[in-house]
Order: sequence, then structure tokens, then C-alpha cells
Amino acid sequence: MKQGSKSPRSEQQFFDDPAIDRIMGAFMALATEHYVLLDRVRAMERELVNAGTLNRGSLGREPDEVERAETSADRTAFIEALMRPLLGEQEALGAAGKFSLK
Amino acid sequence: MDDRSFAAAQDFLLSAKTFWSTTMYQALRDKHAAAKKTASGDAGEPVAAIAHALEDTTQYQFYSWLERHLQRMKYVGRYGLVPYHHERRDELLATFDQSIDADNAVQIDGSLTLPAYYTGVDIHQHPGGVWSDDVAGMIYERGARTTTPLVGVAEKDVHERFTDLALGERTPAKILDMGCGFGKSTQPFVRRLPDSSVDAVDLSAPCLRLAAYGTRESQASNVRFRQMNACNTDYDDGTFDLVTSTMVLHELPPKTIEELLGEAFRVLSPGGRMVHLDFYCLPDAFRRFVHYGHARRNNEPYMQPLAELDLSALVASKGFVDVEIKPFQESDHIDLNANDAWRFPWTVIAATKPSEAAQ
Ligand SMILES: C[S@@+](CC[C@H](N)C(=O)[O-])C[C@H]1O[C@@H](n2cnc3c(N)ncnc32)[C@H](O)[C@@H]1O
Repeated sequence: MKQGSKSPRSEQQFFDDPAIDRIMGAFMALATEHYVLLDRVRAMERELVNAGTLNRGSLGREPDEVERAETSADRTAFIEALMRPLLGEQEALGAAGKFSLK
Repeated sequence: MDDRSFAAAQDFLLSAKTFWSTTMYQALRDKHAAAKKTASGDAGEPVAAIAHALEDTTQYQFYSWLERHLQRMKYVGRYGLVPYHHERRDELLATFDQSIDADNAVQIDGSLTLPAYYTGVDIHQHPGGVWSDDVAGMIYERGARTTTPLVGVAEKDVHERFTDLALGERTPAKILDMGCGFGKSTQPFVRRLPDSSVDAVDLSAPCLRLAAYGTRESQASNVRFRQMNACNTDYDDGTFDLVTSTMVLHELPPKTIEELLGEAFRVLSPGGRMVHLDFYCLPDAFRRFVHYGHARRNNEPYMQPLAELDLSALVASKGFVDVEIKPFQESDHIDLNANDAWRFPWTVIAATKPSEAAQ
């Protein structure tokens, strides 16, 4: 949602590369969203515990080996998605290297 | 957005601001101290020299980014004060109902021309300023609850402490609060002196309506909120025994400060006292550097000019005597000699209009 000045002025820049200023904006928005979600999950737990639907003790205990094994594939897939981009590999065959139309 | 999400996001931002104003501030302070050791001599170190030493450091870049953008996120973005209040606009305005403008406690002047310095900038990053939107007063009120993150709710707040100091042993019968906003600076005087009459003026209609609404709730009958330029009021000469303002001077260009001081002098009775609370006394160059940076990053273009003004001479030039300009301790646990957290350079500026005999 865009608000604020009617005149399109450029935002103040603090880092040497303005890309960092902007990525910080996205990063802080995500961090906020993450906290809002965390807060909601906790509130939900509280409601469920109060209603007797949930046992906080059993929710908070360390998962046993059986449960760990069940969730292991999902964990691996998550890490794969998160870290594969760090390798800089091309996924679909095409032009490679630093982009330029100069 | 529901209330819980809004509160969670605002709490998150406030915690981030607290980290910024303590840990990140201390790191910057230490970085400056270390840089100073290696530089030759530090006597009278100017702001520009500190800027040279710090501006390119990663530390200062993050510090600066967070100062600007935590405040931006408080107002705009998905969980900002602005969208929160816009979503609830009708409901919020309904609490006032139509009758507020007819209330004895408020006087709105639809024909008032707002000065250019006022409309030309969105002060402290409040989009549209504190005046242009019907819910701007409520946005300002809600935001002001977390302006000073380190002051605990249980403590006597800034306004109460300032009222203690402004009144001292005096019981002024007529008081004027210049630039009263939504009445936070006015209310302690109203409560403390039920037999005195308090007038409060501001440029912002939405803030004044909110102030009047607060008065309706507290059922005080000794206060009036009026839409008026504090530099050019309609009061007779010598009307008030005490003229005060809180956090107003730094929003005014130097020429307007001079006008406000002149108007305060005019409407004061001989022997009357003028007491302002604002940001002025900076104990060293580092804190000056931090303050000027805050001004720029937080859309406060007149903060630096005020800090550079010879205020004592200006006040005296208007005819005042007993001019006193002193640092102000905004909460119990603040140690004015420490420098371990970001804070505003709170300052009391007081002076007396000479009594008839002395004139
Ligand atoms: C930071 S707020 C302080 C409000 C209030 N005194 C308080 O302590 O909560 C500054 C206020 O000054 C008002 N203001 C700015 N210029 C003014 C002027 N020339 N005359 C009257 N009010 C003015 C603004 O509308 C705003 O409400």
C-alpha cells in the first residue's frame, strides 16, 4: 500500500549501494510479518489450551525419533530450496554469465 | 488488519527501536570515541568532523537506516498507523459524533490559513502531517504513546513533570498553551488547577477535536481549545499569567520562533512567566551530530536551526527578563550526565515579562 508524499521524491540513501537500502526495507517488512505470525500462533495455542483442545506440554516437548524421521524429508526440501540459489547454477538451459546488452 | 496483528507489529517495531536507541546507539558512541583517540586533538570538534569519521562506517549506515525506517514503518506499510486508522475511519469518527464542533470546549476556524512551513513537510514522517486528515489527530495520539520508548508507563510522564516545573509554587489564574496538539500538554494544567482557566491553541483541527473530546470525557470545564496560529492570536494584551508550549519551537523556522516569542510577550500580563519545553541544550559535538542526523532522517527541518539559534539573546530581545535555559530530565531514571541511550535534548526555556514597575 503506497502512501505519503504526493511528489515522487527519492528516498534518503544511507548505504553505499542503494540496493542495500531497498533490500533492508523488504527484510524488515518480512521480519515484521514473521513476528505478527508468531504472535498469532501463540495466541492460537493459548486459545486451544484454554479450550482443552491442546496440551501445551505435549506440543512443546522435543520430537522423538519417529516424528523426526517423518519430518526429515520436508526439512531437507526446505534447505534445498533455501540454499541451492547460493550455488549460482542455471536451472533451464540458456545464455550464461553476467547479463549485458551493451 | 485486525487489532492483534497491528499491536504485534507495532510492539515489534518498538522493541526494534529500543534496541536501536540503546545497543546500536552505544556502539556508535564507542565507535566515535575510538575514532577520536586516533585523531589529533578533539577540542571543539565540529559536527562535520564527526560526519567525516562516521558516515562511511557500516555501523552508522545501519544506525541511520533504522532511525528513518523504523519510524516510516510505524506509520505506513501493512501494519502502519495510517492504514490501521484508515480502515477504521468511519467507526473512529463516529465516536466524536457531529456535535464536537458545537462543543463549548472547542472552536474550529475553517478560514485559518496554514503557514507554508507547516504544510511543506510531513513532520516526523507522519504522511500528510498532523492536520490534513480527519483521523490525523488520532494517528498522532496513538503514535505519541511510543515516542520515548525508554520511559516506562508507570512513571510520571514528560508532560506531568514539565507541568510541575512550569508551575513551581505559582497558581496562575489564566494559562495559554501554544501548539497544544491533542491536548496532552494542556491536560496536566487543567487537572492541576481546576480554578484556573486554560486556553490552548493549535493549527490542527483534527488534533483540537480530539483534545475537546478528551475534555468531554474528563468533564473539565476550565479549558478551551481554539484553532489559531500561536504567533498571531486574538487575545488582548496582558491576558495570561503563564504562557507555555511543549515540543513546538523546534517545528518552527527561526523567524516564526521570533514571532511566537513576541506574541507570548504581548499576551502575558506584566510579571507573567513564559515556559517552553523543547530540544536545545546539546552537551557535546557527538550529541549534536546525532541530533542533526535525527532531524534530517525524521523530517524535522527546523530542529537544527533551533539548536543553532542564540535563544537566550532572542528571548531577551523581545523584552523578557530572568531568561533561564536549562536541560530537562524527562523521566526519573534518566541521568543527565550519562550517555548510554539515544534521547532528545530536552530543555526548558523560561523567562519573565517585567512587572509594570520595572518597565
Ligand atoms: C509535536 S506537537 C506537540 C503537541 C503538544 N504540545 C504536546 O506536547 O503533545 C507540535 C504542535 O504544534 C502545532 N503547531 C505548529 N505550528 C504552530 C503554530 N504556528 N501555531 C499553533 N500551533 C502550531 C502543531 O499543529 C502540533 O500540534
